[in-house]
Amino acid sequence: MKRLICAFALLILISSCGSNRKSAEQALLDQVDSTSLTDTGISEEVISDIIQQIPSPLEISVLLKEVGTEYDNDILNAASNTSKYNSNYKRALNLGIYGTDLGYTNIYSQNQDALFYLKSIRDLADGLSIGQFFDFGTISRLATNSNNLDSLLLITTQNFNKINSYLQEQKRSNLSVLLLAGGWLEALHISCQVNEMNGGNAELVEKIGEQKIILENIMLLLSFYSETDPSISKLMENFTELKDVYDQVEITYTYEDPTYEVVDGVLTIVDNSSSSINITDQNINDITRITASIREKVIN
Amino acid sequence: MRKFITIFSITLILSAFSFQDVMAQCNAQSYSEECIGKLPSGFTFLKSFQVDGQGGAKSKVEYSYVFSKDTQYSINICADGESTDGIVVSMYDSNRRRVMTNYIDGNFYDGVQYPCKATGIYYITFTFEGSSKFCGGSVLGFKR
Repeated sequence: MKRLICAFALLILISSCGSNRKSAEQALLDQVDSTSLTDTGISEEVISDIIQQIPSPLEISVLLKEVGTEYDNDILNAASNTSKYNSNYKRALNLGIYGTDLGYTNIYSQNQDALFYLKSIRDLADGLSIGQFFDFGTISRLATNSNNLDSLLLITTQNFNKINSYLQEQKRSNLSVLLLAGGWLEALHISCQVNEMNGGNAELVEKIGEQKIILENIMLLLSFYSETDPSISKLMENFTELKDVYDQVEITYTYEDPTYEVVDGVLTIVDNSSSSINITDQNINDITRITASIREKVIN
Repeated sequence: MRKFITIFSITLILSAFSFQDVMAQCNAQSYSEECIGKLPSGFTFLKSFQVDGQGGAKSKVEYSYVFSKDTQYSINICADGESTDGIVVSMYDSNRRRVMTNYIDGNFYDGVQYPCKATGIYYITFTFEGSSKFCGGSVLGFKR
């Protein structure tokens, strides 16, 4: 019986050693990034569900190229700005911004600029201890040949998805939220600037108006951290100004039952629903101005 | 000594059972990664989804995403072998009205193309119809 108790105690000891090791790892992570201690009161699962709704900024970059606008790196955040970003808050926001800039340069096959942005992304990702999820070697190699665009976009998107998943797993969702907010802000800024330079483009105007939906999600995500994180609270204040304008934008949705067709074995749905955006020139001007102003604070 | 051998044997048996459990677990991540290759030509990868029905314990796996007007999306499903193993993907608008499914007239399609006509939040829901493993992956891509 004594031996049985000894064996049982040994098993418990082994199990508890495992959990102690886990706690030590967690403690180290918490030390590396004190913002991860933020208690939002909201479950990680809920936050993760909202985060994954945010669309990729790549969709906007593809639209910009499709509407025939020229590549313009003056509207991007200079790749050389990385040295300005010394806090995790700034690093995460600007990692998102550079991610969008990289996608934009990739879509336009601007290989040299893409390499500059890759270096900036590596520096910021390393600063946030997430550099291991970015395959810089492969991406750099792919970026030097414009025939590799599909693979380049795939790997870049996968890497950013992995970073987001990792941050959420490590209970550092606040950084994931900032990364997405930065990426979205940059995509909106580029759209607004391109729209302004082209004297107003119907598709771009609609795309800018649609961002009302994304802004609502981002504001919701930021609100989970705003009470405990002064930087996020300040950012949310800035976004509130933008939201005030977006509140004037109307999105109308009409549902109709879908139909479908199968052509050569491929199932294609015919979406009979529709949506329209009611947005004025003044709204667009205000959104352009406020977005540029928020971004200015973020990148400097 | 006999008691020690008995305890050691019990521990080994328990470990073996737990190892079997691990082996039987659904590797949805692997399916979702493999599935990227199934995206039709011209579509750019956006997201991959893991579909783990936990051996039938979970009847539904749900994700959501903001789809954009005038953008064509492709959702592809991967499971064991060539079939979808009874995995049904359906998409619902923000009012929970169905706008898309891959299960039509008793047929499972392993890919659906969806030219979106209304921007909004959509729910991508995976359910199971006669599935044997309740395990798979899915991938979302877009083109303009």
